[in-house]
Amino acid sequence: MKKSETRTRYLVNFLAVVLLFVISLVMSAAGGDTLKLKVVPSIWQCCYLIIMAASLNLVLGFLGQLSLGHCGFMAVGAYTAALISLAFQRAGFYEEKSGPAFLLVLLLSTLAAGVLAAVMGLLVGIPALRLKGDYLAIITLGFGMIIVNVINNLPFCGQQGLGQGSASSALYATGLGFSNDEKVQYLWVAVLMVILCMTAMLLFVRSKYGRAIRAIRDNEIAAATSGINVSYYKVLTFTISAFFAGVTGALYSCCNAALATTSFAFTNGSILNSVFIVVMVVVGGMGSMTGSVIAAVALFLLNYTIKNGAWVSALPAFLQNIFAYPMLVYSVALIVVILFRPRGIMGSREFALCDIPKWPGMIKAYFTSRFKGKEAIRHE
Amino acid sequence: MTTFIQFLITGLRLGSVYALIALGYTMVYGIIKLINFAHGDFIMVGGYTLFFMIPVIMNMGLPGWLAVIPAVLVCACVGMLVELLAYRPVRKKGNNLTSLITAIAMSFVLENLAQAIPAIGPDPKVPYTLFTSTVSIAGVSVSSATIITVVVSAVIMVALYFFTQKSRIGCAMRCVSEDKEAATLMGVNVNQTIIVTFGIGAGLAAVAALMYIAQYPKVYTTMGATLGIYAFVAAVLGGIGSLPGAMLGGLVIGIVQSGANTYISSSMSDTFVYLILIAVLMIRPAGILGKNVGEKV
Amino acid sequence: MKKKLLSLLLALSLVVSLAACGSSDSTSGSSESESSDAASDTSEAASSAETEAEAEASTVEESSDSVEFAGTITLGMIGPMTGSLAVYGTHVANGVNLAIEQINAAGGVTVGGESYELAVESKDDQGDSTECLNAMNALISDGIELVIGSATSGCTSSITSVANSEGVVLITPSGTADALTTEMDYVFRTCFKDSFQGELAAQYAADEGYTKVGIVYCSADTYSAGLRDAFTAAAEELGLEIVAEESVATMTEVDYTNQFTKMVEAGAELVFVPFYYDVTGPYLVPQARSVGFDGILLGADGVDNTETTIPDGADLSVYNDFLFVNHYSTELATSDISVSFVESYEEAYGETPNNFDALGYDAVLVLTQAIESCGAFDADSVQAALADTSVVYEVSTGTFSFDDTGTPIKTGVLMGYSYTEGDDSVTKIAITTLSLD
Repeated sequence: MKKSETRTRYLVNFLAVVLLFVISLVMSAAGGDTLKLKVVPSIWQCCYLIIMAASLNLVLGFLGQLSLGHCGFMAVGAYTAALISLAFQRAGFYEEKSGPAFLLVLLLSTLAAGVLAAVMGLLVGIPALRLKGDYLAIITLGFGMIIVNVINNLPFCGQQGLGQGSASSALYATGLGFSNDEKVQYLWVAVLMVILCMTAMLLFVRSKYGRAIRAIRDNEIAAATSGINVSYYKVLTFTISAFFAGVTGALYSCCNAALATTSFAFTNGSILNSVFIVVMVVVGGMGSMTGSVIAAVALFLLNYTIKNGAWVSALPAFLQNIFAYPMLVYSVALIVVILFRPRGIMGSREFALCDIPKWPGMIKAYFTSRFKGKEAIRHE
Repeated sequence: MTTFIQFLITGLRLGSVYALIALGYTMVYGIIKLINFAHGDFIMVGGYTLFFMIPVIMNMGLPGWLAVIPAVLVCACVGMLVELLAYRPVRKKGNNLTSLITAIAMSFVLENLAQAIPAIGPDPKVPYTLFTSTVSIAGVSVSSATIITVVVSAVIMVALYFFTQKSRIGCAMRCVSEDKEAATLMGVNVNQTIIVTFGIGAGLAAVAALMYIAQYPKVYTTMGATLGIYAFVAAVLGGIGSLPGAMLGGLVIGIVQSGANTYISSSMSDTFVYLILIAVLMIRPAGILGKNVGEKV
Repeated sequence: MKKKLLSLLLALSLVVSLAACGSSDSTSGSSESESSDAASDTSEAASSAETEAEAEASTVEESSDSVEFAGTITLGMIGPMTGSLAVYGTHVANGVNLAIEQINAAGGVTVGGESYELAVESKDDQGDSTECLNAMNALISDGIELVIGSATSGCTSSITSVANSEGVVLITPSGTADALTTEMDYVFRTCFKDSFQGELAAQYAADEGYTKVGIVYCSADTYSAGLRDAFTAAAEELGLEIVAEESVATMTEVDYTNQFTKMVEAGAELVFVPFYYDVTGPYLVPQARSVGFDGILLGADGVDNTETTIPDGADLSVYNDFLFVNHYSTELATSDISVSFVESYEEAYGETPNNFDALGYDAVLVLTQAIESCGAFDADSVQAALADTSVVYEVSTGTFSFDDTGTPIKTGVLMGYSYTEGDDSVTKIAITTLSLD
């Protein structure tokens, strides 16, 4: 790629990101009921799902290790952020969720959430050195379960939290927990967080570290013989991935006025669980960061509109009976996507704004090759 | 002393059920290397079939446990249908992970479909209790259901072992599990073998369901989720693909759970189960009885 | 490609046919047809199943079909209608729908001299707090100002602050955690709160002269853990000795034998078991007895209806001395409304109502009474009416008025199961009324 082209690409992406940020600021300023009740909460949820999917993609798509306990790290992050901010609030450091004091606490608790989750990631990374495939998957699953089980039994993580708490699956007090209005006011925080995390992760996978972990994914033995320190890179990737999951946890606890461990279980009612994060990565395409973004948003929208979309009530009655079971629709939709795009929406390609002009040509090429393929079969 | 015996018996009670489920699990895993998340839901299907069939069978004047026959048939059909409709097309197209996701999706489909059927619905149902007699061992009473479960799992394990070692189709199963392409070349009908395996695995789930409801008489639509995970853990702990391993893994997990309940902390038993799993896998990465196959370079 | 399409088609047709058979079979207003109907549109709430009940009810109530409604008051309802907690949500929905049918059949809600029809818009939260919050926001954006929900404390806690800040009345039928209604002016409930029930249970134990008590509870459940906290606190105050405390990991735990072996060893005379009826019937009680625990088992309102989960063919004598604190009892009913609720529920759904049914039913009655008394159905007026602590509500779970946090001040009833050797049967009996000193 020519240097000038690279420069254009960076410029275009930078401008797009700035535009995104400005749009979020404009939205915050605009206000309005639909925006406050539907659009902004949805954007918040999309934001944490995006970071979550992308961070798992580091482990699953780039390192090639299946992790079934990713929400465990998120739980660690969410509880850490909620409790640290609560401690500050109880200490009288801030009253209202505004002003520099609050932003400082938000920053601090987010970082703490990331760091503590990263430590947990380090712990999981170590068994990953010895195990692979489904054996590793079950360890990560077990680890996620252990985290939830332990949080359920820690007295300061339940009921009113900290000193007033007692062991329970729900934490009713958190220092973050934005109301609808505060979500509008702080929309920029969510958007900024996504931009920062995604940039960091993209830079990571494009650096020499990224190349190294992809080499490990493709052939561990070959990578080791080429002088790549496999153990180091594996643990590093798990730690980084867990860090971002922890940051996501902090975002999650901004979204919810109370935390419940059931939300982070291996499977549960909603789409936020370890299994569905894996689903997002695979549907988006393993090894495609932009694929994760697209899949996270698409699956969120599918889930959200099954329940709250106007189009559902326009359907015939018997279909509505099916739509009363959102998980049923969701599962069938998943199987359909997998049947038609087994390698995920994006495969291992990345979406780039500068490639949009090339699309017509690519689509044409795709169809001709498909058509030719069929012809060939017919001639056999 | 009573506590100790009670802990062992409870462990055996839980473990024998896990073992029975893990046997079916490991069969399917062994052949297509797929973590079949829907396996737990086959138990749910079996459980509901038993719930409906036991009164029918008893009205006919036959012993209630004979309801396991229709349950095995229903489960085997569901298992084969799931393989035919979902797993096979995806296996052709995708990779291991897409198969895994299909399995997850199928699990949700089965759970939610069951809830959507009015006769089942979300309310838990309590089936007829079978094998109610108790035997007294060292002052602690043991339900005959526990003993029967242990015996049944052992018998099934041995039968499966001979089936996979001696019979033609069992031989085909081992071939497919080792190398699909080579098996095709040797004239093994891979698809047929896989579907038979699914039938057997799901049929075993029905037997497991019978023993489960004999000891823990309640069926509900999401009952398979936890059971499936424990069975998966049991199968991995024992060494996936190994039949005696599955049995051993199930018993170990039951006893660890019960031991953690009794001697450490009753609400943290899950944590200890997974800690034991992690510890075992760190020492023996292929499970207790699994073969550690070296990677070919 | 063809095969792929074919298998897809087969899978889809399977789904459709099963769901279709589900809809065609909804004779007695089965849960799934309601939730979807209610979700589809408010005016459709009176589905075919419901019109039957309506017709029946109208003959009883002598209200003619000629009632012309001046408009519709739409209530919102949030609960886990699908997923692992679906049993709670669908039962609340059953109660809510029954109440709405009866009220509409009796001529609707009278506001300012005109009668309005009640309708419900139902949302499924699948037992997850984020989904619950989304559902709440969607209801508010649809212009609904009176919401019933959600079934669990965990979910409800995620929407109480929204209700308060957006000025929407929220009545939770079964969120028992103490923290839910404090500081939240717009949040009310129709159930007990944990602390009250736990105290009642502890006081009963003290009054009966038990000194050594044990607790078996679930730390991973807000209801169970909340009751345990309250019971422990009250027991310590009353001088009861808690000789053993054991817990289980989940509310769907199947084995309690180890826990009760320890209770026996510690010499507990009474064990407090804050669980739901779906585990006490098949698992907890028989297993407790099987390891030799022969003292009193004391539960809370969650274990009501244990008689429906006793397996056929089981030894019934084990259920003797199994007591529980409850809101109401049809035997001790001071008002006709409890009796008529149970009768009409059995008629409509063909089964005995449980607490979730009753509390959902009550939530609608409370809202209706508040609307009629203030003569308006906007959130602020209804909130003001509900906040009046002098108003007495007579509903299916007893007669109560709200305290200043929005929790009912109720009296408890001690109920229990009694085994008769003669005809080998278990009957549910009301023993005494309970109240705090």
